[in-house]
Amino acid sequence: MLFCFIGALLGTAVGVLPGLGPAATISLLLPLSYALGNPVTSIIMLAGIYYGAMYGGSTTSILLNIPGEAASVVTCIDGYQMAKKGRAGAALGMAAIGSFIAGTIGVVGLTFVAPPLAAFALKFGPPEYFSLTILGLMLATYLSGKSILKGLIMAILGLLIATVGMDPITGNTRYTFGLLILEDGFDFLTLGMGLFGIGEILSTLEGKMKAELVTTKITNLWPTVKDWSISKWAIVRGTGVGFFVGLLPGGGAVIASLLSYAVEKQVSREPETFGQGALEGVAGPESANNAAASASFIPMLTLGIPGNPAIAMIFAALLIQGVTPGPLLLREHPDLFWAVIASMYIGNVMLLVLNLPLVGLWVQLLKVPYAILAPVIVLICCIGVYSMKNDVSDVMMMVVFGVVGYIFRKLQFELGPLLLAFVLGRILERSLRQALLISRGDVSIFFSRPISATFLTIVVLMIIAPILMVLWRRLNHKDTDV
Amino acid sequence: MGTAVLAYRMGFGNLHQPGPGFFPFCLSAFLAALGFIYYLTRLGSDSKPERLWEKGVWVRPFLAALVLFFYAALMDELGFFSTSFLLFLAWLIIIEREKWLTICLASILGTLSFYLVFTVFLKVPLPKGFFF
Repeated sequence: MLFCFIGALLGTAVGVLPGLGPAATISLLLPLSYALGNPVTSIIMLAGIYYGAMYGGSTTSILLNIPGEAASVVTCIDGYQMAKKGRAGAALGMAAIGSFIAGTIGVVGLTFVAPPLAAFALKFGPPEYFSLTILGLMLATYLSGKSILKGLIMAILGLLIATVGMDPITGNTRYTFGLLILEDGFDFLTLGMGLFGIGEILSTLEGKMKAELVTTKITNLWPTVKDWSISKWAIVRGTGVGFFVGLLPGGGAVIASLLSYAVEKQVSREPETFGQGALEGVAGPESANNAAASASFIPMLTLGIPGNPAIAMIFAALLIQGVTPGPLLLREHPDLFWAVIASMYIGNVMLLVLNLPLVGLWVQLLKVPYAILAPVIVLICCIGVYSMKNDVSDVMMMVVFGVVGYIFRKLQFELGPLLLAFVLGRILERSLRQALLISRGDVSIFFSRPISATFLTIVVLMIIAPILMVLWRRLNHKDTDV
Repeated sequence: MGTAVLAYRMGFGNLHQPGPGFFPFCLSAFLAALGFIYYLTRLGSDSKPERLWEKGVWVRPFLAALVLFFYAALMDELGFFSTSFLLFLAWLIIIEREKWLTICLASILGTLSFYLVFTVFLKVPLPKGFFF
């Protein structure tokens, strides 16, 4: 319970503070989670940070017009307008209550969907794992950003980075160039903290964040009857959208909140009010991001496929503790599985309490200048990375990855697919080589087994579909010219 | 393409028994192909080339990266807390250009807080230098 509370508190603080997202924070706390010694406690705390950040992100969005984290970008649009009209309380209250309802329903979904999915996944062998990992990477690439080609390039790069070090089957060293520090390969923590922690800070330094804090007194956090009648269906729709998007690798809270906003604007009888302070524009996306946060645990816990960078960090935390997420998790560690789900029910209640009465405290936190926060975050990153192997060269590598992450951001290459691919790289390679060994080099094994064939067919369709759409558009364009 | 060549030299093996270079070779070849396709799409694009950095915007990130490189390089010699104190100073003077009172207070209190939390309370082993 204590670590659930610590995670929820930290998550809210992280969500409130712009420039530090849940993925970076979880990466900062990975060494601490290892020091806790107990995988159950670790994952409860880290899970609390992840869904807690979804609650906290709305505070800065509504009061400062700056998203506390990526999934709260959409809340800025109508939340800040509501605050300017003196309705900050209603916006904050509805965001918190919508998040609570959606988060709880998301956990109920997790409770009932996860066990049968885990049972189904027990039928998987190396070919199925290979195909599923490819599908997961393709979905993550497809949904991660504007350009599928760029996402694919990043995913392949992530897989390639994962091959540095010792070959898992033969023990030969690969791409080490005689350097001892590379013989173990790159550490997940070094890569994650570098790309997301240091890289984020370097990006933020490009311009000073100008914030106008809404100074009107925040009152009436509990919504009125009219507010409920406006928002109740937005919360229901947001929960549904968020849950299904959260199940998909690459889906996650950001896409869920964007989709929910689009849906609300589409179904609204007064779409012209969106952008001017529409309460549904806050309730829907905030519900969606929390439902997605709960649902995104399902593929990680039951299939061993993390769907987004923050969940990938939690996946890595479990691996560090010697627990392998996947279909066998429910059978081998039922205590961990059910403890996490129980903690999420309790965590959602804690977060409702933390976010409503304590909103004044979070406003004070916003007054800490980023000039002081940035070096503090850098030092925490350095301590985290150094403490894994007591090796200063890891700190230098983290700085290098930080610069790399910053440059990729400038070139508008998404980092999520790279990190996901890095985490899944070893599983993918091992499954591929095991499958080829079993079949004695016969690649038809991937297509002759029905589950594997289904996954690969979806992958092929995902690759062909954009090409066919481009060709179709060009054909139609030619027809209209004629 | 270079990584593909290196991967091939590691030992490609065959489909019956893939060698250590099998997977990296396939990935490198695929990456090279994707890079070429991306180049072709940019070639055929009508959009004008954009500047990555507008005037002066790159200065603070560049200085921060430089500060961090020196920080990591000196950590073993000077110790974690000495270099952290210098990091605070360099960051607040060069990058943020804060007032002297803020610089002194933040540097001293920041370093002290880290010492108390990580060395005294959490007992995390960190590199020791001349002073502490």
